Amino acid sequence: MLLDLAARRRVLFLGGKGGVGKTSIASAVALSRARAGQRVLVVSTDPAHNLGHLWRRTVGDDVVRLDTAPSGGHLDGVEVDPERTTAAHLSAVRDTLRRIVPEHLGGEVDRHLDLARDAPGMHEAAVLERVADLTEQGLAGYDLVVFDTAPSGHTARLLSLPETMGAWTDGLLRRRDRSERLGAAAQMLGGRGEAEARRDAEIRSVLTRRRERFTLLREVLTDPERCAFVVVLAAERLPVLESVELVEQLSTLQVPVGGLVVNKRSPADAGPLLAARHEAERAHLDTLRERLGHLPLDEVPLLGDDLVGPDALDRLAGFL
Amino acid sequence: MAGTLSAVAAGLRELYEAPYRRTMARARRDEDDLFTLVVLAEALGVPNPASYYTVEMLPLVADRVHEWHTRLGMDRSPLEHVSCC
Repeated sequence: MLLDLAARRRVLFLGGKGGVGKTSIASAVALSRARAGQRVLVVSTDPAHNLGHLWRRTVGDDVVRLDTAPSGGHLDGVEVDPERTTAAHLSAVRDTLRRIVPEHLGGEVDRHLDLARDAPGMHEAAVLERVADLTEQGLAGYDLVVFDTAPSGHTARLLSLPETMGAWTDGLLRRRDRSERLGAAAQMLGGRGEAEARRDAEIRSVLTRRRERFTLLREVLTDPERCAFVVVLAAERLPVLESVELVEQLSTLQVPVGGLVVNKRSPADAGPLLAARHEAERAHLDTLRERLGHLPLDEVPLLGDDLVGPDALDRLAGFL
Repeated sequence: MAGTLSAVAAGLRELYEAPYRRTMARARRDEDDLFTLVVLAEALGVPNPASYYTVEMLPLVADRVHEWHTRLGMDRSPLEHVSCC
């Protein structure tokens, strides 16, 4: 299911409870598409990055080449670092502010921005910024982008942000409209102008640029032709319940859900302990089918060895 | 004569327009104050969920802070982390 889906979409999000194997599944599907000749980018947004461990190399906030396929396809990877994004963003603001405030107040600027760095939402906004950025880059320079996301709650929140922040910028733009209309009226009656008008134009352009970014991301996220969300889970009680909840949240957000991947399925024929697990898992899968029966589902068996490197990923992709 | 007449006309015009202009300017100033407060929310102790986006507008409102606190009759900026003079 997952491989077919990946072949028909431009952007895939993989999400689910922590520890269910999102990173491995994401890399497996990405590698398989690269082997099929596509240009693929895999992005980890989980603060606990594992992409590097999986590929036995350092992967950071800059895009690196993970694999080149003989078919001409290739796989790139990146681990999003929100702190670096925040720092770069704030330092740009700092430079501008330093230029306009009197020199002896430079310290004040620094203090205010240090305060802002730890403000609630800063981190999320930085992740969102990178996701928007990599989605744009991905649509332009890759055939497929696979996002390996943070555990469910964070991700549902992240995906709701473009809409929330869009509403926020809209609100501010409306207030600017009002302010500018009043300013224009006062100016017509002989008030002052020029500098104020220039500032208005700048504020408006900053807000509009943000607004456009949110709109674009939201369009991609909710477009069933280009984007799909795949929930990865283990056949256990809590992951099943959490997945049901996640699918509900995603449908509220109008993010198309492409299917489910049940990872680490215990075998029925490998000793009594695993056979008992197999039975217990079946009961949980029944619950899952009852609630989310309309979604296609892949089952990946529990594998004996550690999942590291391209060979293991190829094997994993065989089950998708 | 023509000069005197036009000066009188300008005076009358100003007499008529000034109150309107004042009203518009005041309403606009209120709007801008609100906008400045949104951008400076953190400094006022109001948690701001959008600070990532408001900080980039700080440079655009920074010079308004001084005008704002002097207008309110305060010699120094009342905001702990934002001072301008």
